[in-house]
Parts: sequence; structure tokens; C-alpha cells
Amino acid sequence: MAPPAASQRYPSPSQPSGKSEVSDLKTQLRQLAGSRAPGVDDSKRDLYKKVISYMTIGIDVSSVFGEMVMCSATSDIVLKKMCYLYVGNYAKGNPDLSLLTINFLQRDCKDEDPMIRGLALRSLCSLRVPNLVEYLVGPLWSGLKDNNSYVRTIAVTGVLKLYHISPSTCIDADFPATLKSLMLHDSDAQVVANCLSALQEIWSLEASHSEEACREKESLLSKPVIYYFLNRIKEFNEWAQCLILELAVKYVPSDSNDIFDIMNLLEDRLQHANGAVVLATVKVFLQLTLSMTDVHQQVYERIKSPLLTLVSSGSPEQSYAILSHLHLLVVRAPFIFAADYKHFYCQYNEPSYVKKLKLEMLTAVANESNTYEIVTELCEYAANVDIAIARESIRAVGKIALQQYDVNAIVDRLLQFLEMEKDYVTAETLVLVKDLLRKYPQWSHDCISVVGGISSKNIQEPKAKAALIWMLGEYAQDMSDAPYVLENLIENWEEEHSAEVRLHLLTAAMKCFFKRAPETQKALGIALAAGIADFHQDVHDRALFYYRVLQYDVHVAERVVSPPKQAVSVFADTQSSEIKDRIFDEFNSLSVIYQKPSYMFTDKEHRGPFEFSDELGNISITPEASSDIVPAQQYEANDKDLLLGVDEKDDNKGLSNNNGSAYTAPSLESSSSISSQMQELAISGPATSATTPQSSFGFDDLFGLGLSTAPAPTPSPPILKLNPRAALDPGAFQQKWRQLPISLTQECSVNPQGIAALTVPQSLIRHMQSHSIHCIASGGQSPNFKFFFFAQKESEPSNYLAECIINTSSAKAQIKVKADEQSTSQAFTTVFETALSKFGLP
Amino acid sequence: MLQCIFLISDSGEVMLEKQLTGHRVDRSICAWFWDQSISQGDSFKLLPVIASPTHYLFQIVRDGITLLACSQVEMPPLMAIEFLCRVADVLSDYLGGLNEDLVKDNFIIVYELLDEMIDNGFPLTTEPSILREMIAPPNLVSKMLSVVTGNASNVSDTLPSGAGSCVPWRPTDPKYSSNEVYVDLVEEMDATVNRDGELVKCEIYGEVQMNSQLSGFPDLTLSFANPSILEDMRFHPCVRFRPWESHQVLSFVPPDGEFKLMSYRVKKLKNTPVYVKPQITSDSGTCRISVLVGIRSDPGKTIESITLSFQLPYCVSSADLSSNHGTVTILSNKTCTWTIGRIPKDKTPCLSGTLTLETGLERLHVFPTFKLGFKIMGTALSGLRIEKLDLQTIPPRLYKGFRAQTRAGEFDVRL
Repeated sequence: MAPPAASQRYPSPSQPSGKSEVSDLKTQLRQLAGSRAPGVDDSKRDLYKKVISYMTIGIDVSSVFGEMVMCSATSDIVLKKMCYLYVGNYAKGNPDLSLLTINFLQRDCKDEDPMIRGLALRSLCSLRVPNLVEYLVGPLWSGLKDNNSYVRTIAVTGVLKLYHISPSTCIDADFPATLKSLMLHDSDAQVVANCLSALQEIWSLEASHSEEACREKESLLSKPVIYYFLNRIKEFNEWAQCLILELAVKYVPSDSNDIFDIMNLLEDRLQHANGAVVLATVKVFLQLTLSMTDVHQQVYERIKSPLLTLVSSGSPEQSYAILSHLHLLVVRAPFIFAADYKHFYCQYNEPSYVKKLKLEMLTAVANESNTYEIVTELCEYAANVDIAIARESIRAVGKIALQQYDVNAIVDRLLQFLEMEKDYVTAETLVLVKDLLRKYPQWSHDCISVVGGISSKNIQEPKAKAALIWMLGEYAQDMSDAPYVLENLIENWEEEHSAEVRLHLLTAAMKCFFKRAPETQKALGIALAAGIADFHQDVHDRALFYYRVLQYDVHVAERVVSPPKQAVSVFADTQSSEIKDRIFDEFNSLSVIYQKPSYMFTDKEHRGPFEFSDELGNISITPEASSDIVPAQQYEANDKDLLLGVDEKDDNKGLSNNNGSAYTAPSLESSSSISSQMQELAISGPATSATTPQSSFGFDDLFGLGLSTAPAPTPSPPILKLNPRAALDPGAFQQKWRQLPISLTQECSVNPQGIAALTVPQSLIRHMQSHSIHCIASGGQSPNFKFFFFAQKESEPSNYLAECIINTSSAKAQIKVKADEQSTSQAFTTVFETALSKFGLP
Repeated sequence: MLQCIFLISDSGEVMLEKQLTGHRVDRSICAWFWDQSISQGDSFKLLPVIASPTHYLFQIVRDGITLLACSQVEMPPLMAIEFLCRVADVLSDYLGGLNEDLVKDNFIIVYELLDEMIDNGFPLTTEPSILREMIAPPNLVSKMLSVVTGNASNVSDTLPSGAGSCVPWRPTDPKYSSNEVYVDLVEEMDATVNRDGELVKCEIYGEVQMNSQLSGFPDLTLSFANPSILEDMRFHPCVRFRPWESHQVLSFVPPDGEFKLMSYRVKKLKNTPVYVKPQITSDSGTCRISVLVGIRSDPGKTIESITLSFQLPYCVSSADLSSNHGTVTILSNKTCTWTIGRIPKDKTPCLSGTLTLETGLERLHVFPTFKLGFKIMGTALSGLRIEKLDLQTIPPRLYKGFRAQTRAGEFDVRL
């Protein structure tokens, strides 16, 4: 019961303690309950209002439930609404009392006023008390057949609510089929939209254990249905349009004509006043044309102006959401907004989260042609009153400088910042100048002359101080007073609180010493002595190390501490292109706002103990998408580790081992020795492929015991028949796993008995074997187990590959399925899940 | 799918809670949210989309009221934000503003509205004209009526016909004795003048607002004399797309009552009606500031309500400002506002004075940005002109009215 808890948590001095008032109300309501005196409705209304206002503040008024219901016999619609509201709030906590309300709600469902019929039906479905489900079916049936569309709209949503309370009741009453026929034939757009929304939800939840629901779910994406919706999209209200557009994104067009038809139908949606509609349309356009490079570019041109309009005309919150999406687009296609950079100029009154995104946009769109204007604008922000934004804009100037080849003008600007003598401006600029010099050492002369003029006393921020000290050390030969500045700083060693600065001081003193030994020697000595006495471990260690290296040989020390510089060409970028692609696939979702693909931030509670979440993402990326080779190889190696964990060892060690010991697959944080061992094994992979029949025989033989003792095959055999003696050699599996796209990803829970039985992976492998799903590799340790399975169709050599990750602490399984035949992958997933759900059951 | 909507007052009190699905969201989320909001210092700085430990939160702030929506499932963020914006619009339309007292006095109406606007976490209708038919606004008239007739219901007896009609924005058959239609061009000038006095950006954001009181099923066409200047148009759902594409004519069946027909932008304007010339010199701890405001190009109509406001840099310890026209006020948060009104014929308004810097500072390094406000009635500065408004079937006694006005939007003059 949430409300009482909430009331305790929110004591407020101004609000009444509740107890006595509530009992007062109770008596008053009781008096009014039976009364039929004129004007009684008015007094009831006042009392109801009080009750609801208490409820709103968070006081528990569930104790007047009975009285409220008794008073509910009224014809006044406002009273009714208040009563519905109250009942909806407390019914779940008082299932017994709720029975009282059923009666009057059912009566209201037959009222002659459609509004009351609708409201009553909505409240009835919102009670959400499982044992009252039987009372819902009747009113819902008549609601769906009501001649008023308002009532039908509510009834359709009611069906969905019923499904969430009791799926079986909903399915048994055959509501989905009714909704489907309503969806295709009802004249009212809102009814149709609600049907679509309800059916999508019901069928995707049902799909995991019902073949039919699977088919129905796919039928929503069939061409006739999609066109049925798209052709009449204008009749729907804006929110329903979003729903339809979301559906259209999932549709796979048959050919390019199909694509152009859809785009023509939807083109005017880009001009819609509702940003959500526009963005959903943009997503459809982008996804449809992914495979057509030239059209995809045209799409960028087409969507540009509607998106820019949204940025500048909406509320700051809307701008924020759109700008996040623009940022994603501009990273993929930097040219699109290059000419429209002025849209991203900040206005004084904008909230800082919008300004920040705009600065990022300005950085991203800067190119040869507009850099000058953009940097000029950014420089004005540096004198802005808002310090956080001033800092951000200086950083933006620096980022642009690092992207561009022609940095001449920008360096001048940066150096002007130093002359502004504002501590935070100077601090940010120093850090940037340092980065610039690392990339463009040729600018050292200009920069150093200005930097040399800065008094180190004015700089307090550790980062800036460290940057300045780095430059002093690096360019000691160009700055006449460098040794003396360093000496000063070293003398104040005790007052320097940041370890980072002290570390830099040590290194700078060393570098300076190598260039101007006589002037620095004394300072270096002090620095090393102070460093060795330092309480900070790193500082101490570094000082000691320098000291010993110097002792050993000064020339070696120079080679170690101050080797010839190499200009940095690329700074470590934060996001890989795979991740960006992944986010792009999730356009118009929260992923874009967080700049992370959804697997990185959703379902944290289920994902918590997972150790290989990033690997999950990487594996799923299709080969075309992974452009850079190094990480790809890593994944390969990773896969090999896992894939070869079981079978290769089996082959090597012979077939006699069928109890756990041979299966100690490498743990996920596999040590290098193990993985190198695996690499060796991988080389032997092709050789074993020649003996495929043997090894598969081995598999069957190995698990023959399990097969014979396993429970009889599933009582209601699914349509998809799997070959119990399927064979696939590990090399082929790996190749397929890399080539095939993921056709399905599913998450399901594993029953507790299953979890209990999963002390060792073998138990599950044997169990799945009895369902004709064969394990090719397994690994992991509690709580995370990872399995690779494969299966084959009985009649034809069509393969299914599956990766299954089971987390025993959350009792969840994550399944990724790849299939030769995409169309049947859903059916396979169903078989797989059914098999998995029986795991551990006697 | 939104799971819950909260309305939170500017002191962090939960004024209203509307659970939308079976998964009840505990109120403690608001406490968490409020802590975040306080730690950010300023609720205006808090991001619109936040991940809390249990839910994803969408929030918008309107007049100190925070509308907070919670969700546990993936959904288009813009949809949630748009919806909250609509809720805020509808509420302030109904309650005649949005503040703590109004919401608390009318929380029943707010509940009723939310009930119709969203069901099971999915938005239904947010069209004000439809909602107004289902739930009568708590205006003076209905209060009077309830006193006189004793019928205090604020729910109309009839069901919204528009909810079921194929033109979702229009009730089926409204009747008016006199048919009237008004078109307003409302424009806002957004401009940025940089430190060198150059016009970095100058554009007009405009809206065509209409008030239609027409019987039956009117089909209107509105055309402009110079539609080619328009960019970035966004239309009300009632506007047909094809006629606009082919010959720039707005053809539509209007909603009943007031609505926004379209919004547009006119870019790359060359001139502003008013100039602002700030000058600042600083030496040995004091600054001399002088700002001149005058008419640059006469729009032909009077420029009214001219104001200039700016934030004094935080390093200014005291300010002594005076003007030869209008009034100057300095608030405790160092916001300085100069109310000029109209520009007199005989002199150029001038604000001048000295700023004393905090001790230790020689010169001023952080400069204020001046925000200009003005209003011009009777003209649209973009130059957009309405050519004609036609009604396909002309009812007897049709009255058409046109108006225009321009005001300053985001008009920044940087120093």
C-alpha cells in the first residue's frame, strides 16, 4: 500500500496531521450516504473534494473507502468522476472493498450518457484487482460494440489493461481478434489507433509463447496493413501518428518503389506542428533509405530545414531533445548543417543545457568555410557573464582548432584570451594551448612568447597550472626565465595541493635540467628531495625513479624523460564508430539523449552484475558496420575463446569425459595464457572440420545418456521441427555467427528450479540437447553463464544459431538468435524459450 | 509510455499525482528529483530528461510549476516533452495561467483534463477545442451559471462530437449567429548585434493566429502577397499540404475558436527598427557606461514599450545609473532594467552612469549583454502581407478582420 507510506514520508508543517480530519469526513459522508434531500449533492461534492485533496497531498484516506462508495449513487457527473478517481487510487490496496464498487460501475457502464459509460468503463478497468477480472469481460464486450466511438476508444484501452491484470482471461475471451477486426474496420481513427497500440503490446508479449501471436505480430508489418495506416495517417491525431510512424520504421519495404511510395505519403508530415511527429517521420526516412546511399544523402537535405525549425521555434526543452538528435546527424553527415551554422548561435536567455548542445553543434559543423565566423562568435561567449558557458566556448574553440588544418587565426584568438586576464579564461586557454602544441609543434614560437608572459601566480586551477608547467619544461630553451619560474614554483612545493601539479613539476624540472643544466640544477635537487619526502605515493615514486635514473646515467635519463617529441595526430576519441551506428539505429529514442546505445543504460537492475556488457554490444554489430579492424579482431578472439571452450577440448581429450571436469571453459576475464592456448586451438579448427561427422557423432554419443533419461519431448510439439542429430562444426559456426545479422533478441526469465539446477553449465547443455538444441560452446562462472547453441531444421539444412546469457542472480536469460532463414527465427526462439522454461522442472 | 505525471510546486511540494498504468510510481521519486534540482542550484538548469535510479524522468518547468513524467520503458523523448508542453498549455489555457494556487484550487479539473488527455500512458487528445467540449473551463461565466441555476457541473452534457468526427480538430456542427473570422500576424524579431555593432543574426519568427467563429463546415483559403519570403513553415494539422506545395495557398477547414494556423521564419533581414549603442570604458576600478537608444529605420508605426535590460557583471560592487528619459531600476540580483516606453521626438534617450568594481580589479573583463524589448502594433516587420481570405461557401453576414503586430523576441546586443 503505497499511499500510507508516502504520507509518512511527506510530513509538511502546513498540512493537517490527517487522522482526526479523516474520521470527521467519514462521519459526515456516512450521514449523507442515505440522504435524498435537495442540495445533498453540493455537500457531497465539498466532502469529496476534501477527500481527494487529502489524497493528493499524500494523506491516506483509504479508510473512508466504504463511505465513498456508499455515497456514489448520484447522477452528478463531477461527483462520479471524483469517486472514480478515488476508487482507482485505492482499489488495489483494498481488494475486498473494491467488490462494492463493481456494482455501481457496472450499472454506470449501461448508462444512457456515453460519457458516463466511457468513464465508468475506464474506471472499472483501472481498478486492477486480479480477483475482480471476471466482472470486466462483460462490460468490455459491450464497450467494444458500443455505437459511440468515445466508449469504444476506452474499451480498447480497457482490453489492454485487462491483459496486464490477467493475460489468460484476455486471450480466452478472444479479445485480440476483436481488436484486430476493429482496427481494420472501425470508422473512428482514435479507436483504430488504440487498437494498434493495444495489439502491438499484447502480441509482442504473447509472441514468446504463442506461434499465433507471433504471426499476428508480423502481420501488423505486412504491406497491406502498413499502407492501410499510412494512407489515412492524416485522419489520426498527432500522437496516434507517432504510433503509426513507429510501426512504419519496422516495415521492410519490398523494393525501391515501395520506399518512394512511403516517402511520398509521409513527406508532408515533416511540416507538422508537433515535433514528435516530425522526428518520427525523419526516422522513417532515414531508416528506409539506409541502403540507398544517394537517396539517403537527399534525405539529409530534405529533413534539414524542418529540424532547424523545430530547434528555433520550440520551448527550450524541445530544442534540447532536437539538438541531441541533430548532433547525431551532424556527426554522420557533417556537411548538412555547415551552411546553417548561425542557427546554433546561442541566445542570452537560453538555458545552459541548450547552450551547451549548441556549442557542441558549432564545433561539429565547423569546416574550412565557416570557421572564421564560428570562432568569432565563440570568442564573444568567452566574455559572457555565464562562466560555465564561457569555459565551454573556449573549449569549443580549442576543439575546432584541433580539427582544422588552418589554425593560424584560431591560435591568435586563443592567445588573445590569455590577454583578457580573467582567471578562468586563462586557465581554460592554457590547457588548450598545451593540447595545440602537442598537435602542432610548429606554433610553439608564437604561443611560447605569450605564455611566457603569464605570471604563474595568477593561475590557481590545477589543470591549468599543470599545463603551464608542462610548457615550461617542454620549451625551456625558448623561455628565458623558465628555470626561475620553475624554481619559484618548486620553492612553494608545500603549498601545492594537487598531486598532478607536483608530478608535472618534477618532470618539468627534469626536462629543464637537460636543456639548461647549470640554471636548473639547484631547483631540481630541491624538487627531487621534496618529491621523495612527499606523502603522495605517485609523487614519491616518480621522484625516486628520476633520482635513481639520474644516478645511473644522465643520458639514459634524458632518453627516458625527454625523448624527441612526436606530434600527436589524433587524440583518443571517446566514441567508436560502432557505438555511433548503434545509436543511429535507435534514432528518436532516449539513447540519443544519453549518447549511448540502449544496452548501455537500460535495464540496469537486470544488468548490474554482468561483466561483459560491452562485449554484448560488440558481437551484435554486423560485419559491414565494423569498419576498423583492430577491435573486430578482438571480438573474434573473444568469440574463439568461448566457442572453443568446450568442443575442441572434447575432441582433444577424447569422448570419455561426460561429467563436468572437462568443461572448465575459460572464464570471461580469461587470462592471456588461456586465450593464447585458445588461439592455438583455433588454428587446428579447420582440421577438425574435415572430420565433422565424427565429431558430431561424438556429440550425440556424448550426450546419449542425457537423451535417454531426459523427459519425453514437449507435449505439444511446436510447428518447427528440429533435427535431433544436427551437426555443425565449430569453424562453420564461428563463420556463420560473424556473417549473419541478429534476427532476434529476447529477454526472458528462467524459473528458480532452473537456476538451482544451473550449478554447472553441463546441466543446461544436456537439457537443451534433449530438445534438439545443441551446445557448441559454453563458458562463464556464477552468476553469469554464456552458451552458444545451434540447431537445424528437421527437413532441410537450415541452421539456427543462438547465444544465450544467463544471469543466475537476476534469473534472466538473454537470447540472441541468428538464422539462415530469417523468417523462421521467431519460431525457433519460441522453441528455444519453451525448452529453456522447462529447464529444472522434474 | 508514461507511467505517472506529477505536478510539483516551486517549493518542491507534490501538488498532484496522476498514475497512468498499473505500475504505480512511488512518490519518493519526486523527493529524489527535488534533491537533484536543488543540487543544481537552479531548476532551470536541470536537464529535461534525467535518468533516476528507477525511472527515466521528463520534466518541463512553466512559471515555477514543474511537470514531471516518469517512464520505465524506451520511448521517443520528444514525444514525452511535447506532451508535457501541451499539458502545460492546456492547463494554463483552462486555469488562466499556471501557478500553485490556481492548480490547487482547480485540482479536480486538472485531474479531469489529464484523464481525457492520456490513457494508459499513451496520449489521446490534446486539442484544446475538443477538450473544452468535454470539460468546461472554470471561467466566470460557468461560475455565475452555477450560482444562478444551481447546476454546478463543469462537465458539458454532450459528448464531444469532434472526438468522433473525421476532422478531429473540429466539432461537427457549431452554430453562430454572426460569422466572424480574425487573422492575426504576430511576429517576433530575434536579433544578435555583436561587439562591433554588426548585425550577426536578424530574423523574424512569426505566427498566423486565427479566431474562427464560423457555422457549419467552412473551407477557407488564405493567400499571401509575398509567400516566397517564408521559410521553415509549420502548419496546424488542418492545413492541406498539396495546395501549399503547388501554389503557396493555405487551404484548410479551421478548428473552432482560437488556434495557431502556422508558424514561419523570415531570415536574413538587414535592418532593425531600433538601434542600441552601448559604450563602456573602465579604468582604475570604475567604469563609465553610456547607452544610446534610437530609431534606426522607422517602421511607419509607433514603437512602444521599449525596454532595455541587462545583467551587471558579478564583479561590479555598486552601480549608479541614470537616464535622460524613462526609468532605471536595479534589482538585488544585479538585473538592471531601463524602461523607455516611446522614443521622444526631441531627444535621444541615453542611459549613463558609473559602475564601481570590486576592490582589486582594475578593469572590467566581463561585459553585459543587453536585451532589447519593444512592440509595434499594426505592422509585420517581416514584410509579410496577407492577400486575401476566401470562404468557399459564403455565409450571410461574414465579418473578416486582419491585424498585425511585431515585438522583440530574443534581441541581444552584446558589448
